[in-house]
Amino acid sequence: MKTSIIRDIRAWQSFTMLNGLIPIFRRPLALVAILSTPLSFLFFVDIFSHGTQLLVGSIGGLIFTVINAATMLQSDLLFGKIDLKFQQMIATTGISPLVYVMGMATGDIVFILPGAIFFLGVIVYLTPVTVLDVALIIFAAFLTWVFFSLFSYMISRKVREMREIWPISVIFGIVFAVIPPIYYSLNSIPVPFQYFAYLVPTTFAALIIKDAVANSLGSLPIPLFVYFVETVLMVVFATRISDWRQQTI
Amino acid sequence: MVVPLLVKDLRKDYLVKGKVTSALRGLSLTASRPMILSILGRNGSGKTTFVKIATGQLIPGSGTVEIFGHDVISSPASVKGLISLVPQECRPWGHMTPREHIYHYQRILGNSREGARDRVQFISDMLRIGSFMDTEAVNLSGGQRQLIVVGMSLSAEADIYFLDEPTIGLDVITRKNVWEGIRYFRKLGKTIVLTTHYLDEASALSDEIAVVSEGRLLAQGTLQQLQNMLDYNTRIRIPAGFAKGSLEPYGKVVSESQYEILYTDEKRVEEIILSAGLLKTRIEIGPVGLDDVFISLVGGSIED
Ligand SMILES: Nc1ncnc2c1ncn2[C@@H]1O[C@H](COP(=O)(O)OP(=O)(O)OP(=O)(O)O)[C@@H](O)[C@H]1O
Ligand SMILES: [Mg+2]
Repeated sequence: MKTSIIRDIRAWQSFTMLNGLIPIFRRPLALVAILSTPLSFLFFVDIFSHGTQLLVGSIGGLIFTVINAATMLQSDLLFGKIDLKFQQMIATTGISPLVYVMGMATGDIVFILPGAIFFLGVIVYLTPVTVLDVALIIFAAFLTWVFFSLFSYMISRKVREMREIWPISVIFGIVFAVIPPIYYSLNSIPVPFQYFAYLVPTTFAALIIKDAVANSLGSLPIPLFVYFVETVLMVVFATRISDWRQQTI
Repeated sequence: MVVPLLVKDLRKDYLVKGKVTSALRGLSLTASRPMILSILGRNGSGKTTFVKIATGQLIPGSGTVEIFGHDVISSPASVKGLISLVPQECRPWGHMTPREHIYHYQRILGNSREGARDRVQFISDMLRIGSFMDTEAVNLSGGQRQLIVVGMSLSAEADIYFLDEPTIGLDVITRKNVWEGIRYFRKLGKTIVLTTHYLDEASALSDEIAVVSEGRLLAQGTLQQLQNMLDYNTRIRIPAGFAKGSLEPYGKVVSESQYEILYTDEKRVEEIILSAGLLKTRIEIGPVGLDDVFISLVGGSIED
């Protein structure tokens, strides 16, 4: 048929349509739901800090929102696999699992885009950032999206029932978007805990964004490098294990 | 000619919490030329497990599946584009219309926008679903939703279609529309592997029928060949309570709730009617059907 790259693009577009662009207009409530938690956090951070931590709350909100896309993806992949058996139909088309996963993940971006733009807007409004800084922030968000979308794919391979994913998604959100230092500064916790924080990839996302807005680009290369390498390793690993076939489905 | 489907000694155990279920215990079957092959078997006999392995969803324990000479198990990529599937209990996305489903499925298969639209029209005409093509699936009935999935699968230009209970929940007329579609594909030289619990469907459609039980093939052949496997070729249905004892000498008698079924030989029918005094009751006489074959084959193996 068509060369495989054109095919992949067509498939990708369709996954994005069916998981993002079509439902968003027909089921817009999800938009509100996705914004509600980070906006509430922003509200509380602002109240309790008497307005001094609005920037931190927005950085946290941005990362939280991207992680939200990845948790949505968990439900979407499982729904397609278990409830609809849609994944089984896709498997026979010859499309690679990663095109499917990332196409669906792009669909979920559609849902978080308004929130992400809002938080980015607040960050830009509050700080004198340059175009390069904004590019760095978007790049950090992009790495987060890739890393955690693939992570969600791995989780979805293991889960065999819809009910199992809800608790997993909640814990996933807490572990990657609430506990690590994205809503607060890494230096505000005791040193031993800082080492633990470095185990969580979102810590690096927050470091990159905080360095970018603080115009302290001098310390930026290290988190940027680490996060980039982590994401590349994730892509390599996901590519290696990706397979439609499983021992049980 | 390359054989569309060749399955040899397929085995699959499911391990759940330390407990092993053997779903397939050496299943072998063949579609030696393009055909409609129906797979019949009781619930849990391994049909869906087989379909999942053959369509590259599930890793078997051992055995081989070849599709047009390509080994599905060692090189799953080699059969992509050759196969299409209706999974058992598959459902469409609630927020999308039948048209969107088929269109996007075509795009995922790599078709151009125009080509995809043509295919949508083709399927819509074939399955006669034009009246609800633009209704979101949440607002459709169960059978209409099933047709979306069937339509998606049939829209693929594959060489072998695995349809796992595709007509479940469809009314008689709609089912026949699907049959027509299946027959049309058969005429195009495609192979269709169908699982169904509707024996009339299997009888009406199949070139060959495979009966499986507990993960093994019990018999495969044309309807005629399967019927010939029975000791009797004729079935007489007699209201219950009617001289059961007097029927025994003429063949095999099976009791159903309101009837006695006498399996016998066609040549003896006249004699039986006269000597068993059946002239005064309403009886039904006919050839043995697939249901008789099925019960006799599968019923036998369950008792073991
Ligand atoms: N995912 C699974 N995990 C564990 N056991 C399974 C799984 N799927 C099927 N089985 C077991 O394997 C056997 C065969 O199941 P399968 O779904 O292949 O049957 P089937 O012939 O398609 O039945 P039906 O007509 O009801 O659809 C059953 O005993 C079932 O309990
Ligand atoms: Mg089944």
